[in-house]
Amino acid sequence: MKWRWIVPAFALAALVAVPWLGDEVLIQFGISALLIAVLAQSWNILGGFTGYVSFGNSVFYGLGAYGTAIAMAQWHQSFWLGLVLGAAVAVALAALLGWPILRLRGPYFAIVTLGLSAAMSALIANLDIAGKNIGLILPLTRNDTMFYELSLGLLAAATLTVAWIARSRFGMGLIAIREDEDAAATIGVDATRYKLAALMLAAFFTALAGGIHAYWITFIDPAGSFDTTLDVRMVIMTMFGGPGTVFGPVIGAFILSAIYEILANGISTAAALFFAVVIMLAVIFMPKGLMDLGGGFRSLGWRYFLANMRRYRL
Amino acid sequence: MLLAQILVDGVLLGGLYGLMALGMALVWGVLNIVNLAHGAFIMLGGYLVYFLFAAGLDPLASLPLAMLAMFAFGYVIQRGLLNLIVRSALLNTLLFTFGLDVVLTFLAQLLFSADYRTINPSYAGANFTVAHVTIPVGRLVAFAIAIVLAMLLYLLLRHSRLGRAIRATAQNLDAARLYGVDPGKIYAVTFGLGAALAAAAGGLYGIVAQITPYIGATLTAKSFVIAIIGGLENPLSIIAAGVVIGLAEAITALYLGPTYTDVIGFGLLVLILVVRPARSLKLA
Repeated sequence: MKWRWIVPAFALAALVAVPWLGDEVLIQFGISALLIAVLAQSWNILGGFTGYVSFGNSVFYGLGAYGTAIAMAQWHQSFWLGLVLGAAVAVALAALLGWPILRLRGPYFAIVTLGLSAAMSALIANLDIAGKNIGLILPLTRNDTMFYELSLGLLAAATLTVAWIARSRFGMGLIAIREDEDAAATIGVDATRYKLAALMLAAFFTALAGGIHAYWITFIDPAGSFDTTLDVRMVIMTMFGGPGTVFGPVIGAFILSAIYEILANGISTAAALFFAVVIMLAVIFMPKGLMDLGGGFRSLGWRYFLANMRRYRL
Repeated sequence: MLLAQILVDGVLLGGLYGLMALGMALVWGVLNIVNLAHGAFIMLGGYLVYFLFAAGLDPLASLPLAMLAMFAFGYVIQRGLLNLIVRSALLNTLLFTFGLDVVLTFLAQLLFSADYRTINPSYAGANFTVAHVTIPVGRLVAFAIAIVLAMLLYLLLRHSRLGRAIRATAQNLDAARLYGVDPGKIYAVTFGLGAALAAAAGGLYGIVAQITPYIGATLTAKSFVIAIIGGLENPLSIIAAGVVIGLAEAITALYLGPTYTDVIGFGLLVLILVVRPARSLKLA
C-alpha cells in the first residue's frame, strides 16, 4: 500500500531541508554521503538484482568526472553540457565493454571488471586533452547548497529507478538471471541484453555522480578519479544495507559513511580497518544485509545471526 | 643483445610470478575461494624471511621455516573463519578475503613500519655472463625454487594420500565425505598449503625486489591473472603462465614503456576470457 512510501517521503523532505540548518561541515559530509549512496544504488542495479558483481564501476565515475572537467576546463562549456557528455561517454563505454564481458558468467565477469579502472586510468594519464598525469582544474563555484540538492536529486532519481525496476518486468528478468540464468533463458529472458541494460543504467547514474563530484571539488586527476577503493566501498555499502532491495544500498551508504566520518576524525587509519571488519562480520552474520534484519531479527532474536552463520558452514 | 637480456630477465622473473600464483590457484581450484588476501600472505612471508635474515639466517634456510609458519596461519584462518562461509556465494568469500587483506596490511604497517625492506644475502647482487647475457644469481635461484616447489606440489597432488583427498574434495565434496574424507580438515590443509607457497614466493620476492606492507594488492592481481591463464589444473602450467606474463611485461616495458606493464597482463586476461570463456577451472 501507499504507506510504504510515507516514511521515504518524510526522509526525503528532511534531507531536502538539511542545508537550512546552516552547518557547512554537515552539508559537505552530506554531499559525499549522497554521492556515494548514488554509487551504491547504481551498483545495486546490476550487482544486487542480477548477482553480477562489478568491481569496475568506478570507471564510469571517472569518465563522468573527466567528461565534465574536459567540457568545462578545456572547451569552456557549461556544467550541464559536461554532465551530459560524461554520462554519454560512460554509457557508451558500458555498451561497448558490456557486450563482450557480460557474456562471462559469475566470477569471470567480476575478475575482468577488477582491472577496468586501472586500465582506464593509465589511458587517461596519456591523453593531452585530459591533462595527462597532472589533471584538470575546473572553474570554482562556491555553492555547497546547490551541490547538496543536486546530489540529493540524483539519489532520489536513482532510487526511484530502482523502485521501478523492482516491480517491473525488466526487474523480474534481472532477478531470474540471478536465481538461474539458464532457466531464465528458457522462459525467454534475453540475459545478455538485460544485463547490458542494467549496466548502462548503472553507468549513467554513476557518471552523473562523478560529474557533480568533479565540479564540487574543482580538481581531478587520474588517481583520484579512477579510485578502486570507491569500487570496494560501493560494494560493501550495498552488501551491508541489502543487495537487491530498494532502500538497502542508501541506508547502508548513509550509516557506513557516518561511522567512517566519525572514525576518520579520531584515528584516520582506523576508518579503513573499520570497513574491513564490518564486511567480514557482515558476510558471516548477516549476508542478506540490514534490510533482511527487520523480519529475521524479529522472529529469531539474536539467534538470527547464529542461523546465518550456520547456513553456509561446511 | 638487449632483447636477449630482456627475455632472460622476463623468464626468470616469470618463474617467481608463477610461484606467487601457485597458492592462489590451488585454493581457487579446490575450495572455490578467490583469495584476495593472497598478496598479503606473500607480503607476510616476505617479512618473516626478512626478519630471520636480519637475525642472521640465510634466506634459503629460513624459507622452509616461513612456509611452516604461514601454513599454520592459513590452516587456522580456514578452520576458524573461512569454513563458516565457504559454501556461500563467491562474492561473500571474495569480500571476506578482501577484508582480511586490509586487516593484514594494516597490521603489517603497524608492526613493521612502511620502510622498504630488501633481503640481500651475498649472492643476491651477484651475477655471471653467458654469451653476453648477464644472469642475476638471485633471480636464477628464485626461478629454480619456483620450479622445484611446483614439481613437489604436482607430486603431492598426484601421488600421495593427502593429494588424492584434496583432489577428491575438489571434484565432489559429498562423495569425498562418504569415503571418509574430513572436508573441514582438507580445506584447512589446502588453504595452509596455499599460504605456505605464498610465503615461499614472498621470501624470494624479498631477494629480487623490495618489500613494503602495500605490495599485496598488486601481487594478488598478478597472481590472479596468472592463475586464470595457467588454468588451475596443473602446477607446472601455472609456472609456464607466470613466464608468459613475465615475458609480456618485459617486452611491454621495452617497446611501450614501463607505465603499461601493469596493464598488459590485464589486457591479456580480458582477451583470453573473451576468446575462451568456457574454459574449465578445476584442479583435478
